[in-house]
Amino acid sequence: MDYPESEQRRQLQLERLQSTLNRAFRSVPFHQNRFHEFGMDAFQVETLSDLSKLPFMERKDLGEHYPYGLFAVPLRDIVRIHTAPGTNLNPTVTGYTKQDLNVWREMVSRALSISGVTAMDILQITFDPGLANWGRDYKDGAEALEASVIPNTPLSLEKQLMVLRDYKTTVLVTTPSSASQLASYMFRSEFNPTGLNLKTLILVGDAIENPFRAFLEDRLHVTVWLHYGLSEVPGPAMAFECENHEGLHVSEDYFFPEIINPQSGEILALGNSGELVFTSLSTRAFPLIRFRTGDKARLIAEPCSCGCPFVRIEWAGERTDQLITINGVKLRQAQILRNLEKALGFIPDKCHINKQQHSYLDKYGARSYLEVSLLMNEKLFSDEIKMLQKLINTAEEKLHENIGVPVKIKLKELGTFSDEIQ
Amino acid sequence: MAIKGVSLSVAQGELVSLIGANGSGKSTLLQAIVGLLPGWEGKMSFWDNSLKGLAPPAIVQKGISLVPEGRLIFPPLTVLDNLKLGAYTRYRKKQHREIAQDLEMVMTLFPILKERSYQAAGTLSGGEQQMLAIGRALMAKPKLLLLDEPSMGLAPLLVDRILQTLVQLRENGITILLVEQNAQAALKIADRGYVLETGRVVLQGSAQDLLADDEVKRAYLGKDYGEFYEGRA
Repeated sequence: MDYPESEQRRQLQLERLQSTLNRAFRSVPFHQNRFHEFGMDAFQVETLSDLSKLPFMERKDLGEHYPYGLFAVPLRDIVRIHTAPGTNLNPTVTGYTKQDLNVWREMVSRALSISGVTAMDILQITFDPGLANWGRDYKDGAEALEASVIPNTPLSLEKQLMVLRDYKTTVLVTTPSSASQLASYMFRSEFNPTGLNLKTLILVGDAIENPFRAFLEDRLHVTVWLHYGLSEVPGPAMAFECENHEGLHVSEDYFFPEIINPQSGEILALGNSGELVFTSLSTRAFPLIRFRTGDKARLIAEPCSCGCPFVRIEWAGERTDQLITINGVKLRQAQILRNLEKALGFIPDKCHINKQQHSYLDKYGARSYLEVSLLMNEKLFSDEIKMLQKLINTAEEKLHENIGVPVKIKLKELGTFSDEIQ
Repeated sequence: MAIKGVSLSVAQGELVSLIGANGSGKSTLLQAIVGLLPGWEGKMSFWDNSLKGLAPPAIVQKGISLVPEGRLIFPPLTVLDNLKLGAYTRYRKKQHREIAQDLEMVMTLFPILKERSYQAAGTLSGGEQQMLAIGRALMAKPKLLLLDEPSMGLAPLLVDRILQTLVQLRENGITILLVEQNAQAALKIADRGYVLETGRVVLQGSAQDLLADDEVKRAYLGKDYGEFYEGRA
């Protein structure tokens, strides 16, 4: 890989930052108004550190400007419109210009190529529907490397394994939870991983712990590479692991990272852990300016021995907000409740929401899913168990469709209920 | 035109085009670089040396020459004298032999100037005057050549001729920053480009990407706005 010298890289970042801000300021009233509120104009950002004078963008802003309010180019220039589950009732709608797609393709193919993917590989992609856009980006990126791509298609575990084995897949791109499920399924069906050609496992959407990584590498005979991205906007592989697997390199030529104190919003000294904030440097259709990811991370000051000069983040999957991340999809309690209300047709008296974490130690290898516990009451109750079952099934399906992750609804009686969340 | 918050860079051996409409601040930027607008704030450096506070002759001596908009040749003087004036900072250094060589180089680059050596510069055609202005700038032996609208008022064939000369100069190792309203022509020969709009950079990238860019096409490459919006909001 050829990387520009650090001074040149800073200059490139500054030039791209300034034109991003100028375009956002010119074309998006939201940005213009917010800059003005802070007494700022885009041209006042003369150095990279001046960026800290600008306001933050948050997830709620994305929903409030549904659908096209934050687009910085006319619709005519948009070539792809993507919907992701939002953190509110409105989904998050993002757009891409031709150039944006080129940039994503370059970014993803660079991250893949650092993971050792070449034209000789057969690359299979398996994601939940909520991450469908990442599936397209990985497909494009892998195709640019001339790998043979098996695009994202919803398949049963059995079929997935069949494809993995028969098509001689060498690289699998998926979420940690799906990988865990697959590994357990193989173990249960007494399938020997030596029968696979798989050598590279690229995990996205959730952070992983070292024992889990070791488990997967050991059980599947693969090398695990972790990628970081944003599921709503604008895509995957914004940060990626190199051969050292010690933190993730940020694609600094396209995104500028900051680490802030999530309470005060102040920038933390290099090396401290805080909330990760991203500013896009070349995105045309949907610029992100100081977007608060809600992910807890730390910038690693020391240069990496792999030679890639991009700064690394240490990302352990913790969050600085109340969002629940399931298989890479981010959800807010209030949003789940509102969708639940729509699915059931009434507001449940009591309800408890939690994430059922996949466990690689669980030999049945359940995938992470959203568990919603409801208090049994007369509105729900029916003397026909079939009717009740149907109501629950329909509600589960509707919820799944609206928020993009697997859902299980449990009915509970008063007394077995924790009063934590209502 | 006031320009604010603008960062740009030109690497050694590059040909970079700065495009934008009238009044976008392109010429202002060039004039600031060569010291004609001394009041600027910020940082400007050439080979890691700051250009702050330097008068135009000092900047020329550092290796930066400007081919100004409208050529600004000296009409009553002969072509030869115009060219010699371009080397005036070097005569003091007694570089007579090198100057003679460079004169020869310019005459080879633009044979028409040799033919018209003893003619008053004012009698040259527009294209010839532009060649003279470029030749005069080259006589200062610049490392970085700045050109302000060299295609202005020239017939398309002459524009091609002038721009091809720039490509040749770049191949000879001269770094070039070109300001042009003729965006298409300027981007075609450039490595990279910047798009300036009311004193701000709104786009930058490889010349190839900019040529293919919808926004650039719409605003600067003469594509009809209506054609892009037909049937859409």
